[in-house]
Amino acid sequence: MRPPPGRQQLPREFIARHQRQRIITALAEEAVEKGYRAVTVADIVRRAGIARNTFYENFSSKEDCFLAAQQYAVDESLRRVVEAASSVESWPDRVRAGLASFLRSVATEPALARACFVEALSAGPEAMAGYEESLQAFVPLFRIGRKVSSQGNELPETLEETIVGGIFWIIYQRVVAGETAEIERLLPELIEFSLTPYVGPKAARRTASEPSP
Amino acid sequence: MESASEYPPELSRLPPGRHGLPREFVIHNQHERLIAGLAEAVAEKGFANTTIADITRHAAVSRRTFYEHFNSKDECFVKAYDTVMEQLRERVAEAYQSEDDWPRSIKAGIAAMLGFLASEPNLARLCMVEALVAGPVVVERYDAAIQSLVPYFREGRKGRPRDVLDRLSPTTEEALVGGMVSLVSRRIFAGRTDDLEQLLPDLVEFALTPYLGSAEAAKIARES
Repeated sequence: MRPPPGRQQLPREFIARHQRQRIITALAEEAVEKGYRAVTVADIVRRAGIARNTFYENFSSKEDCFLAAQQYAVDESLRRVVEAASSVESWPDRVRAGLASFLRSVATEPALARACFVEALSAGPEAMAGYEESLQAFVPLFRIGRKVSSQGNELPETLEETIVGGIFWIIYQRVVAGETAEIERLLPELIEFSLTPYVGPKAARRTASEPSP
Repeated sequence: MESASEYPPELSRLPPGRHGLPREFVIHNQHERLIAGLAEAVAEKGFANTTIADITRHAAVSRRTFYEHFNSKDECFVKAYDTVMEQLRERVAEAYQSEDDWPRSIKAGIAAMLGFLASEPNLARLCMVEALVAGPVVVERYDAAIQSLVPYFREGRKGRPRDVLDRLSPTTEEALVGGMVSLVSRRIFAGRTDDLEQLLPDLVEFALTPYLGSAEAAKIARES
Protein backbone atom coordinates (compact mmCIF):
# COMPACT_ATOMS: atom_id res chain seq x y z
CA MET A 1 0.00 0.00 0.00
CA ARG A 2 2.97 2.38 0.38
CA PRO A 3 3.80 4.61 -2.59
CA PRO A 4 6.65 3.12 -4.54
CA PRO A 5 9.98 4.64 -3.52
CA GLY A 6 11.59 7.08 -5.91
CA ARG A 7 8.86 7.53 -8.45
CA GLN A 8 6.35 9.98 -7.06
CA GLN A 9 4.19 10.76 -10.02
CA LEU A 10 0.90 10.49 -8.23
CA PRO A 11 -0.87 13.78 -7.69
CA ARG A 12 -0.01 15.38 -4.35
CA GLU A 13 -3.62 15.46 -3.30
CA PHE A 14 -4.02 11.75 -3.91
CA ILE A 15 -0.96 10.96 -1.83
CA ALA A 16 -2.12 13.23 0.97
CA ARG A 17 -5.54 11.61 1.13
CA HIS A 18 -4.05 8.16 0.92
CA GLN A 19 -1.66 8.96 3.74
CA ARG A 20 -4.42 10.23 5.99
CA GLN A 21 -6.39 7.09 5.39
CA ARG A 22 -3.40 4.91 6.13
CA ILE A 23 -2.80 6.69 9.42
CA ILE A 24 -6.46 6.39 10.37
CA THR A 25 -6.45 2.68 9.60
CA ALA A 26 -3.27 2.22 11.61
CA LEU A 27 -4.84 3.91 14.64
CA ALA A 28 -7.94 1.73 14.39
CA GLU A 29 -5.88 -1.46 14.11
CA GLU A 30 -3.65 -0.53 17.03
CA ALA A 31 -6.75 0.21 19.10
CA VAL A 32 -8.14 -3.26 18.38
CA GLU A 33 -4.93 -4.77 19.65
CA LYS A 34 -4.33 -2.80 22.82
CA GLY A 35 -7.36 -0.58 23.39
CA TYR A 36 -7.48 3.04 22.27
CA ARG A 37 -6.16 4.50 25.51
CA ALA A 38 -2.95 2.53 25.44
CA VAL A 39 -2.17 3.44 21.83
CA THR A 40 0.64 5.98 21.34
CA VAL A 41 1.51 8.13 18.33
CA ALA A 42 4.68 6.02 18.07
CA ASP A 43 2.52 2.88 17.64
CA ILE A 44 0.48 4.53 14.90
CA VAL A 45 3.56 5.79 13.08
CA ARG A 46 5.19 2.37 13.19
CA ARG A 47 2.14 0.53 11.90
CA ALA A 48 1.43 3.08 9.18
CA GLY A 49 5.06 2.98 8.08
CA ILE A 50 5.39 6.75 7.98
CA ALA A 51 7.61 9.36 9.58
CA ARG A 52 6.55 10.94 12.85
CA ASN A 53 6.60 14.30 11.07
CA THR A 54 4.11 13.01 8.52
CA PHE A 55 1.74 12.11 11.34
CA TYR A 56 1.93 15.63 12.75
CA GLU A 57 1.50 17.17 9.31
CA ASN A 58 -1.89 15.43 9.20
CA PHE A 59 -3.04 15.43 12.81
CA SER A 60 -2.31 17.50 15.88
CA SER A 61 -2.61 14.58 18.31
CA LYS A 62 -3.78 11.02 18.83
CA GLU A 63 -7.19 12.39 19.81
CA ASP A 64 -7.39 14.46 16.64
CA CYS A 65 -6.54 11.36 14.62
CA PHE A 66 -9.23 9.35 16.42
CA LEU A 67 -11.90 11.94 15.70
CA ALA A 68 -10.85 11.93 12.04
CA ALA A 69 -11.10 8.13 11.97
CA GLN A 70 -14.57 8.29 13.47
CA GLN A 71 -15.67 11.02 11.07
CA TYR A 72 -14.29 9.13 8.09
CA ALA A 73 -15.97 5.86 9.07
CA VAL A 74 -19.34 7.48 9.77
CA ASP A 75 -19.34 9.59 6.58
CA GLU A 76 -18.23 6.67 4.46
CA SER A 77 -20.75 4.15 5.83
CA LEU A 78 -23.57 6.67 5.67
CA ARG A 79 -22.65 7.52 2.07
CA ARG A 80 -22.80 3.82 1.19
CA VAL A 81 -26.09 3.35 3.01
CA VAL A 82 -27.70 6.22 1.13
CA GLU A 83 -26.28 5.00 -2.16
CA ALA A 84 -27.57 1.46 -1.58
CA ALA A 85 -30.97 2.74 -0.48
CA SER A 86 -31.38 4.96 -3.53
CA SER A 87 -30.88 2.00 -5.84
CA VAL A 88 -34.34 0.62 -4.95
CA GLU A 89 -37.83 2.10 -4.97
CA SER A 90 -40.04 1.33 -1.99
CA TRP A 91 -39.19 2.47 1.54
CA PRO A 92 -39.08 -1.06 3.06
CA ASP A 93 -36.68 -2.12 0.31
CA ARG A 94 -34.58 0.95 1.01
CA VAL A 95 -34.34 0.05 4.69
CA ARG A 96 -33.30 -3.44 3.68
CA ALA A 97 -30.65 -2.23 1.22
CA GLY A 98 -29.38 0.38 3.65
CA LEU A 99 -29.09 -2.07 6.54
CA ALA A 100 -27.36 -4.61 4.30
CA SER A 101 -24.84 -1.99 3.28
CA PHE A 102 -24.29 -0.91 6.88
CA LEU A 103 -23.65 -4.44 8.09
CA ARG A 104 -21.29 -4.99 5.19
CA SER A 105 -19.29 -1.91 6.23
CA VAL A 106 -18.95 -3.36 9.72
CA ALA A 107 -17.92 -6.76 8.36
CA THR A 108 -15.34 -5.38 5.93
CA GLU A 109 -13.86 -2.74 8.26
CA PRO A 110 -13.90 -4.42 11.67
CA ALA A 111 -11.20 -2.18 13.14
CA LEU A 112 -12.99 1.03 12.18
CA ALA A 113 -16.26 -0.48 13.38
CA ARG A 114 -14.69 -1.16 16.75
CA ALA A 115 -13.39 2.40 16.91
CA CYS A 116 -16.87 3.79 16.22
CA PHE A 117 -19.03 1.42 18.25
CA VAL A 118 -16.79 0.64 21.21
CA GLU A 119 -13.76 2.89 21.62
CA ALA A 120 -15.66 6.09 20.78
CA LEU A 121 -17.63 5.76 24.01
CA SER A 122 -14.55 6.07 26.19
CA ALA A 123 -12.40 8.27 23.95
CA GLY A 124 -13.48 11.60 25.42
CA PRO A 125 -16.41 14.01 25.15
CA GLU A 126 -15.86 14.91 21.49
CA ALA A 127 -15.78 11.27 20.42
CA MET A 128 -18.91 10.62 22.49
CA ALA A 129 -20.60 13.56 20.79
CA GLY A 130 -19.52 12.09 17.45
CA TYR A 131 -21.13 8.79 18.45
CA GLU A 132 -24.37 10.60 19.30
CA GLU A 133 -24.30 12.39 15.95
CA SER A 134 -23.73 9.15 14.07
CA LEU A 135 -26.76 7.60 15.76
CA GLN A 136 -28.83 10.68 15.03
CA ALA A 137 -27.80 10.63 11.36
CA PHE A 138 -29.81 7.45 10.84
CA VAL A 139 -32.97 8.77 12.49
CA PRO A 140 -34.34 10.69 9.45
CA LEU A 141 -33.86 7.63 7.21
CA PHE A 142 -36.28 5.67 9.37
CA ARG A 143 -38.59 8.59 9.97
CA ILE A 144 -39.59 8.51 6.32
CA GLY A 145 -41.39 5.27 7.21
CA ARG A 146 -44.13 7.29 8.91
CA LYS A 147 -45.29 8.42 5.50
CA VAL A 148 -45.83 4.86 4.27
CA SER A 149 -47.28 3.63 7.55
CA SER A 150 -51.06 3.53 7.95
CA GLN A 151 -50.57 4.68 11.55
CA GLY A 152 -47.71 7.09 10.87
CA ASN A 153 -49.21 9.85 12.98
CA GLU A 154 -49.75 7.68 16.03
CA LEU A 155 -46.29 6.16 16.31
CA PRO A 156 -44.28 7.11 19.40
CA GLU A 157 -42.26 10.28 18.87
CA THR A 158 -39.02 8.58 19.94
CA LEU A 159 -39.50 5.43 17.84
CA GLU A 160 -36.66 6.06 15.39
CA GLU A 161 -34.12 6.81 18.11
CA THR A 162 -35.06 3.58 19.85
CA ILE A 163 -34.81 1.55 16.65
CA VAL A 164 -31.38 2.94 15.76
CA GLY A 165 -30.27 2.48 19.38
CA GLY A 166 -31.39 -1.15 19.28
CA ILE A 167 -29.53 -1.81 16.04
CA PHE A 168 -26.40 -0.11 17.40
CA TRP A 169 -26.59 -2.19 20.58
CA ILE A 170 -26.85 -5.46 18.66
CA ILE A 171 -23.87 -4.47 16.52
CA TYR A 172 -21.93 -3.25 19.56
CA GLN A 173 -22.27 -6.62 21.24
CA ARG A 174 -21.11 -8.52 18.17
CA VAL A 175 -18.14 -6.18 17.76
CA VAL A 176 -17.15 -6.58 21.41
CA ALA A 177 -17.40 -10.36 21.04
CA GLY A 178 -15.23 -10.20 17.88
CA GLU A 179 -18.05 -11.66 15.78
CA THR A 180 -18.00 -9.10 12.98
CA ALA A 181 -17.33 -11.67 10.25
CA GLU A 182 -20.78 -13.21 10.75
CA ILE A 183 -22.61 -9.96 11.34
CA GLU A 184 -24.39 -9.93 7.97
CA ARG A 185 -26.41 -12.93 9.12
CA LEU A 186 -28.32 -10.59 11.39
CA LEU A 187 -29.81 -8.78 8.40
CA PRO A 188 -33.25 -10.45 8.35
CA GLU A 189 -33.73 -9.98 12.11
CA LEU A 190 -32.74 -6.33 12.00
CA ILE A 191 -34.99 -5.66 9.01
CA GLU A 192 -37.96 -7.14 10.85
CA PHE A 193 -37.12 -5.27 14.02
CA SER A 194 -36.96 -1.96 12.14
CA LEU A 195 -39.92 -2.37 9.82
CA THR A 196 -42.52 -4.01 12.08
CA PRO A 197 -43.65 -0.81 13.84
CA TYR A 198 -44.31 0.88 10.48
CA VAL A 199 -45.68 -1.81 8.19
CA GLY A 200 -46.77 -4.53 10.61
CA PRO A 201 -45.25 -7.97 11.18
CA LYS A 202 -46.41 -9.66 7.97
CA ALA A 203 -45.07 -7.11 5.52
CA ALA A 204 -41.87 -6.79 7.60
CA ARG A 205 -41.34 -10.53 7.39
CA ARG A 206 -41.89 -10.48 3.66
CA THR A 207 -39.22 -7.84 3.10
CA ALA A 208 -36.84 -9.56 5.48
CA SER A 209 -37.09 -12.91 3.75
CA GLU A 210 -36.47 -11.70 0.21
CA PRO A 211 -33.17 -12.99 -1.13
CA SER A 212 -30.13 -10.87 -0.30
CA PRO A 213 -29.44 -8.00 -2.66
CA MET B 1 -43.64 7.78 42.50
CA GLU B 2 -40.44 7.78 44.52
CA SER B 3 -39.64 10.86 46.55
CA ALA B 4 -37.09 12.90 44.68
CA SER B 5 -33.55 14.11 45.40
CA GLU B 6 -32.51 11.72 48.11
CA TYR B 7 -29.63 9.33 47.78
CA PRO B 8 -30.35 5.68 48.46
CA PRO B 9 -29.50 4.79 52.07
CA GLU B 10 -26.09 3.39 51.11
CA LEU B 11 -25.08 6.69 49.68
CA SER B 12 -26.31 8.90 52.46
CA ARG B 13 -23.79 11.02 54.29
CA LEU B 14 -22.63 10.95 57.85
CA PRO B 15 -23.16 14.36 59.40
CA PRO B 16 -19.82 16.10 59.71
CA GLY B 17 -18.19 16.69 63.09
CA ARG B 18 -17.69 14.56 66.19
CA HIS B 19 -20.33 11.94 66.63
CA GLY B 20 -19.05 9.27 69.01
CA LEU B 21 -20.36 6.44 66.80
CA PRO B 22 -18.93 2.93 67.00
CA ARG B 23 -15.78 2.50 64.92
CA GLU B 24 -17.19 -0.17 62.66
CA PHE B 25 -20.12 2.03 61.80
CA VAL B 26 -17.83 4.92 61.03
CA ILE B 27 -15.70 2.78 58.73
CA HIS B 28 -18.74 1.50 56.93
CA ASN B 29 -20.11 4.97 56.64
CA GLN B 30 -16.82 6.35 55.35
CA HIS B 31 -16.99 3.80 52.60
CA GLU B 32 -20.45 4.98 51.57
CA ARG B 33 -19.41 8.59 51.84
CA LEU B 34 -16.55 7.98 49.47
CA ILE B 35 -18.92 6.39 47.00
CA ALA B 36 -21.31 9.34 47.26
CA GLY B 37 -18.31 11.67 46.95
CA LEU B 38 -17.26 9.95 43.77
CA ALA B 39 -20.76 10.23 42.30
CA GLU B 40 -20.80 13.97 43.01
CA ALA B 41 -17.30 14.57 41.70
CA VAL B 42 -17.98 12.60 38.53
CA ALA B 43 -21.25 14.47 37.97
CA GLU B 44 -19.30 17.71 38.25
CA LYS B 45 -16.24 16.96 36.13
CA GLY B 46 -16.79 13.66 34.36
CA PHE B 47 -14.97 10.44 35.19
CA ALA B 48 -11.83 11.19 33.18
CA ASN B 49 -11.17 14.52 34.92
CA THR B 50 -12.09 13.42 38.44
CA THR B 51 -9.13 13.09 40.80
CA ILE B 52 -8.89 11.32 44.14
CA ALA B 53 -8.60 14.79 45.69
CA ASP B 54 -12.02 15.66 44.22
CA ILE B 55 -13.54 12.51 45.69
CA THR B 56 -12.11 13.06 49.17
CA ARG B 57 -13.19 16.73 49.12
CA HIS B 58 -16.79 15.81 48.27
CA ALA B 59 -16.75 12.98 50.81
CA ALA B 60 -15.07 15.19 53.44
CA VAL B 61 -12.56 12.50 54.36
CA SER B 62 -8.77 12.42 54.18
CA ARG B 63 -6.72 11.04 51.34
CA ARG B 64 -5.42 8.40 53.73
CA THR B 65 -8.96 7.28 54.46
CA PHE B 66 -9.57 6.92 50.73
CA TYR B 67 -6.63 4.53 50.43
CA GLU B 68 -7.81 2.54 53.44
CA HIS B 69 -10.92 1.70 51.41
CA PHE B 70 -9.84 1.68 47.77
CA ASN B 71 -6.64 1.18 45.85
CA SER B 72 -7.54 3.52 43.04
CA LYS B 73 -10.12 5.81 41.50
CA ASP B 74 -11.11 2.95 39.20
CA GLU B 75 -11.82 0.64 42.11
CA CYS B 76 -13.92 3.30 43.82
CA PHE B 77 -15.85 3.86 40.60
CA VAL B 78 -16.56 0.16 40.14
CA LYS B 79 -17.84 -0.05 43.72
CA ALA B 80 -20.05 2.99 43.19
CA TYR B 81 -21.35 1.54 39.95
CA ASP B 82 -22.21 -1.77 41.61
CA THR B 83 -24.00 0.00 44.46
CA VAL B 84 -26.15 2.09 42.15
CA MET B 85 -26.96 -0.81 39.86
CA GLU B 86 -27.94 -2.97 42.80
CA GLN B 87 -30.43 -0.27 43.84
CA LEU B 88 -31.78 0.07 40.34
CA ARG B 89 -32.12 -3.68 39.89
CA GLU B 90 -34.01 -4.02 43.16
CA ARG B 91 -36.44 -1.23 42.28
CA VAL B 92 -37.12 -2.70 38.86
CA ALA B 93 -37.60 -6.23 40.19
CA GLU B 94 -39.94 -5.04 42.92
CA ALA B 95 -42.06 -3.00 40.51
CA TYR B 96 -42.16 -5.83 37.98
CA GLN B 97 -43.39 -8.27 40.61
CA SER B 98 -46.02 -5.87 41.91
CA GLU B 99 -48.21 -6.49 38.83
CA ASP B 100 -49.92 -9.74 37.86
CA ASP B 101 -50.06 -9.62 34.11
CA TRP B 102 -46.91 -9.37 32.03
CA PRO B 103 -47.59 -6.21 29.99
CA ARG B 104 -48.34 -4.25 33.15
CA SER B 105 -45.31 -5.75 34.89
CA ILE B 106 -43.15 -4.45 32.06
CA LYS B 107 -44.77 -1.06 32.30
CA ALA B 108 -44.22 -0.94 36.07
CA GLY B 109 -40.59 -2.01 35.65
CA ILE B 110 -39.89 0.68 33.06
CA ALA B 111 -41.64 3.28 35.21
CA ALA B 112 -39.50 2.29 38.21
CA MET B 113 -36.31 2.59 36.17
CA LEU B 114 -37.25 6.02 34.82
CA GLY B 115 -38.40 7.18 38.27
CA PHE B 116 -35.13 6.17 39.90
CA LEU B 117 -32.98 7.76 37.22
CA ALA B 118 -35.03 10.96 37.17
CA SER B 119 -34.86 11.36 40.94
CA GLU B 120 -31.09 10.77 41.05
CA PRO B 121 -29.51 12.70 38.18
CA ASN B 122 -25.95 12.24 39.48
CA LEU B 123 -26.35 8.52 39.86
CA ALA B 124 -28.15 8.29 36.53
CA ARG B 125 -25.20 9.92 34.86
CA LEU B 126 -22.77 7.71 36.71
CA CYS B 127 -24.31 4.43 35.67
CA MET B 128 -25.64 5.25 32.20
CA VAL B 129 -23.07 7.68 30.78
CA GLU B 130 -19.88 7.72 32.83
CA ALA B 131 -19.78 3.93 32.96
CA LEU B 132 -19.22 4.01 29.21
CA VAL B 133 -16.73 6.86 29.47
CA ALA B 134 -14.78 4.92 32.07
CA GLY B 135 -14.45 2.24 29.43
CA PRO B 136 -12.56 -0.93 30.22
CA VAL B 137 -12.97 -0.44 33.99
CA VAL B 138 -16.66 -1.26 34.05
CA VAL B 139 -17.67 -2.02 30.52
CA GLU B 140 -18.23 -5.71 31.14
CA ARG B 141 -20.42 -4.92 34.12
CA TYR B 142 -22.34 -2.39 32.07
CA ASP B 143 -22.97 -4.90 29.29
CA ALA B 144 -24.01 -7.56 31.80
CA ALA B 145 -26.39 -5.12 33.53
CA ILE B 146 -28.16 -4.43 30.26
CA GLN B 147 -28.32 -8.11 29.40
CA SER B 148 -29.85 -8.78 32.81
CA LEU B 149 -32.99 -6.97 31.61
CA VAL B 150 -33.50 -9.41 28.72
CA PRO B 151 -35.26 -12.16 30.75
CA TYR B 152 -38.05 -9.73 31.77
CA PHE B 153 -38.93 -9.34 28.12
CA ARG B 154 -38.39 -12.96 27.16
CA GLU B 155 -41.11 -13.75 29.72
CA GLY B 156 -43.50 -12.07 27.28
CA ARG B 157 -43.19 -15.02 24.88
CA LYS B 158 -45.02 -17.30 27.30
CA GLY B 159 -48.52 -18.19 26.16
CA ARG B 160 -48.36 -16.12 22.96
CA PRO B 161 -50.04 -17.54 19.86
CA ARG B 162 -47.94 -19.40 17.32
CA ASP B 163 -47.93 -16.60 14.72
CA VAL B 164 -46.57 -14.14 17.27
CA LEU B 165 -43.82 -16.50 18.40
CA ASP B 166 -42.90 -17.16 14.79
CA ARG B 167 -42.24 -13.55 14.09
CA LEU B 168 -40.04 -12.95 17.14
CA SER B 169 -36.37 -13.44 16.35
CA PRO B 170 -33.60 -14.64 18.69
CA THR B 171 -32.39 -11.04 19.07
CA THR B 172 -35.79 -9.36 19.59
CA GLU B 173 -35.30 -8.85 23.32
CA GLU B 174 -31.71 -7.67 22.99
CA ALA B 175 -32.73 -5.10 20.39
CA LEU B 176 -35.64 -3.89 22.54
CA VAL B 177 -33.52 -3.53 25.66
CA GLY B 178 -30.64 -1.97 23.75
CA GLY B 179 -32.93 0.52 22.06
CA MET B 180 -34.59 1.56 25.31
CA VAL B 181 -31.31 1.92 27.19
CA SER B 182 -29.87 3.89 24.29
CA LEU B 183 -32.76 6.35 24.31
CA VAL B 184 -32.57 6.80 28.08
CA SER B 185 -28.79 7.26 27.97
CA ARG B 186 -29.07 9.87 25.23
CA ARG B 187 -31.45 11.94 27.34
CA ILE B 188 -29.14 11.70 30.35
CA PHE B 189 -26.10 12.53 28.21
CA ALA B 190 -27.95 15.61 26.95
CA GLY B 191 -28.64 16.65 30.55
CA ARG B 192 -32.38 16.06 30.14
CA THR B 193 -32.87 13.86 33.20
CA ASP B 194 -36.02 15.82 34.06
CA ASP B 195 -37.74 14.59 30.91
CA LEU B 196 -37.08 10.91 31.53
CA GLU B 197 -40.47 10.03 32.97
CA GLN B 198 -42.22 11.48 29.94
CA LEU B 199 -40.66 8.67 27.92
CA LEU B 200 -42.81 6.06 29.68
CA PRO B 201 -45.62 5.70 27.11
CA ASP B 202 -43.21 5.63 24.16
CA LEU B 203 -40.99 3.00 25.75
CA VAL B 204 -43.91 0.83 26.83
CA GLU B 205 -45.46 0.90 23.38
CA PHE B 206 -42.10 0.14 21.78
CA ALA B 207 -41.42 -2.76 24.15
CA LEU B 208 -44.83 -4.39 23.95
CA THR B 209 -45.54 -4.05 20.23
CA PRO B 210 -43.66 -7.19 19.10
CA TYR B 211 -45.65 -9.31 21.56
CA LEU B 212 -49.10 -7.72 21.57
CA GLY B 213 -49.30 -5.85 18.27
CA SER B 214 -49.26 -2.09 18.02
CA ALA B 215 -52.91 -1.38 18.90
CA GLU B 216 -52.90 -3.30 22.19
CA ALA B 217 -49.39 -2.04 23.04
CA ALA B 218 -50.48 1.57 22.47
CA LYS B 219 -53.56 1.07 24.63
CA ILE B 220 -51.60 -0.24 27.60
CA ALA B 221 -48.93 2.41 27.10
CA ARG B 222 -51.50 5.18 27.41
CA GLU B 223 -53.40 3.79 30.40
CA SER B 224 -52.82 5.92 33.47
